[in-house]
Amino acid sequence: MSNAENVLSPEYKEALKTLLFQLADDDFLLSFRGSEWLGLAPHIEEDVASSSISQDTMGHAAMYYKLLEDLGEGNADALAHARPAEERKNSVLAERVNGEGYYLETPEYDWAYAVVRNFFYAQAKKVKIDSLRTSSYQPLAETAVKVSMELYYHLMHWKLWFTQLLSSTDEAKRRMNNAIELVMKDFGDIFSYGNAKDAIEKEGLIAKEEELKANWTERMKPVFESLGMEVPAIPAASEKNGRNGEHTEDLTEALTTLSEVYRLDPAAAW
Amino acid sequence: MTNLALAATEEEKMERFMEKIEKGIKIEADDWMPEEYRTTLIKLISMHGMSEIMGALPEKEWVPKAPSLHRKLGIMAKVQDEMGHGQLLLRVAEDLLKPYGKTRGDLMQDLFTGKLKFHNVFHAETRTWGDAGLIGWLVDGAAIITQTDMLNASYGPYARALHRICAEEVFHAQHGEAIIMALAEGTDEQRAMIQDALNRWWNSLLVFFGPAAKETLGTSKQDVTIKYKIRTKTNEQLRQDFFTKYVPRILSLGLELPDKTMHYNEEKEVWVYQEPDWSELKAVARNEGARSQARLNLRRTSYQTNAWVRDALAATIS
Amino acid sequence: MSEKTFYQEYEVFSKRTPSSGFQHQFSLLAPNEDMAMIMAQENFMRREPVADIWVVNRKHIRGMNEEEKLTLNRLDNKEYRTAKGYGYLKKKWRKYEQQMLDEKEIMSWGGKKK
Repeated sequence: MSNAENVLSPEYKEALKTLLFQLADDDFLLSFRGSEWLGLAPHIEEDVASSSISQDTMGHAAMYYKLLEDLGEGNADALAHARPAEERKNSVLAERVNGEGYYLETPEYDWAYAVVRNFFYAQAKKVKIDSLRTSSYQPLAETAVKVSMELYYHLMHWKLWFTQLLSSTDEAKRRMNNAIELVMKDFGDIFSYGNAKDAIEKEGLIAKEEELKANWTERMKPVFESLGMEVPAIPAASEKNGRNGEHTEDLTEALTTLSEVYRLDPAAAW
Repeated sequence: MTNLALAATEEEKMERFMEKIEKGIKIEADDWMPEEYRTTLIKLISMHGMSEIMGALPEKEWVPKAPSLHRKLGIMAKVQDEMGHGQLLLRVAEDLLKPYGKTRGDLMQDLFTGKLKFHNVFHAETRTWGDAGLIGWLVDGAAIITQTDMLNASYGPYARALHRICAEEVFHAQHGEAIIMALAEGTDEQRAMIQDALNRWWNSLLVFFGPAAKETLGTSKQDVTIKYKIRTKTNEQLRQDFFTKYVPRILSLGLELPDKTMHYNEEKEVWVYQEPDWSELKAVARNEGARSQARLNLRRTSYQTNAWVRDALAATIS
Repeated sequence: MSEKTFYQEYEVFSKRTPSSGFQHQFSLLAPNEDMAMIMAQENFMRREPVADIWVVNRKHIRGMNEEEKLTLNRLDNKEYRTAKGYGYLKKKWRKYEQQMLDEKEIMSWGGKKK
């Protein structure tokens, strides 16, 4: 990769790195939230199944961090564990807690929120990955082809949970609709490139924000139609734009937990 | 359905059953079996299954905190396997429970009321990342010793579940060794971490295999399980096997045995060790271990918080 | 317990490669076949290649009871059904200076020009 690195213009490289941090941090934070769910899902068989999705997702994050490492950004583990909240580029949706309560104490996690967040996120990821397959940065395009392979299962899995819960009891429907509202409130920065919008879109790294949003809505339509519902509109912007390092307290707490052991001795081999 | 065989008396059935056991022919879920065999299996397998489900929790505490991407992925996969082992074993127990009309939900309730126990090692505290490594290395090591002893269990569904489980335990053992090895070869602080973990876990590891003889605690299921060829070795034989496999490894990493008196008696070919404190077993049987209530609370909270999901699924039966 | 449950038992089968047959794996609890399907692979085949999966509700499986299993026993006197009963041909063919077309030979013909 050092070869490719040499020929990249500084502007291109900057835009590329920003995009890679967005992709990596999204998958990393969401899979961290998934790892908090481990052992606590509503059904044992589902616990096992959904943990595979969290592992896949963290594996994808590791691939993006590795691309950054290859670009000279430093060690992948340090990128995942040591960066402070204000440097993180993930969407706010990915950092949100799973529900009330710390995972070690009395977590009252919300499965409806997990289903909606994961389904909407997986569809957004699919739309992005489809575009990244033709990215101007070849190593990213190759990564996208690999990631894409595992998304079929993620989508099938969460879509089924989404449609079945919305076709069941009144209580489930109520909870699911609340979750949809919560998730959509944070959906404004999912397709945002933040302040790097022009730079990223100009370089042919990935499709334009508007195009991805339209694709997401298009793909969601048949699912919502089958439930007699309408696809919720993606907000133009959210209160905080994670792509610009604007985050909630949830992220700070997540980083404290996920780096607790790493920080004991960042130089040590673990 | 026509009756091809003449109705057999209970004694004939029992005779045929014991003949199968002696010949090594597996017993299957819908075969006739004596009540004692069924209840022994239910007790053994539901406790084994629930121990996996509860045993996922102590390590899970370190899943989100694991110190690198690779370790986060490895421990996630490992804890996922524990849940998976729980799934396999509970399925086996659930099929045995059919004549009593009990389901997984009832087993969960039995866990919450304290009627159904889980293994002593999963009541303990996991204080540091060293504990996460030690569980993978030695607790799983101990579990591998007891589980491989039952790979040829007379009850077919249990034997098949154990074959799946033991195949995955190979990964678990290596996962644990990898964490321990990194710490053993690391800084002074890292080495201290595993020595400290070993010191705290030693008693539980010895207690894990159960008392050598009935007299120690007044009860022991080992005789019945051996009679029905569910297992082959006694508690003490298994504990000795554990020492033989692991004591040299512990010492080779430069760790100290918490039991200073421990040695191998060449003549008698046995490990001589200090009796563990058996009161630990009595305490955990009452769910009064260091983390018994906290972990039960965690399991109960998540089970109750998710009750609406199970209700919703009941409405999607087709 | 009066708790309403969704538990139905599904037996899971899978093929390791496109050309292999289905093999029984294990069973799981699910409310319907779609849910059983999305849980099957990750529960039982996380570490091995899979080419296809079947899930079957146990209530649709007609099994044998213990008495019916007695119909499976038979005498060991049916060599006429197997190649074993015709082994003497080997010697006979040798007399005609021909090799016997045994199982190994015949099974090796697949897809090859004779």
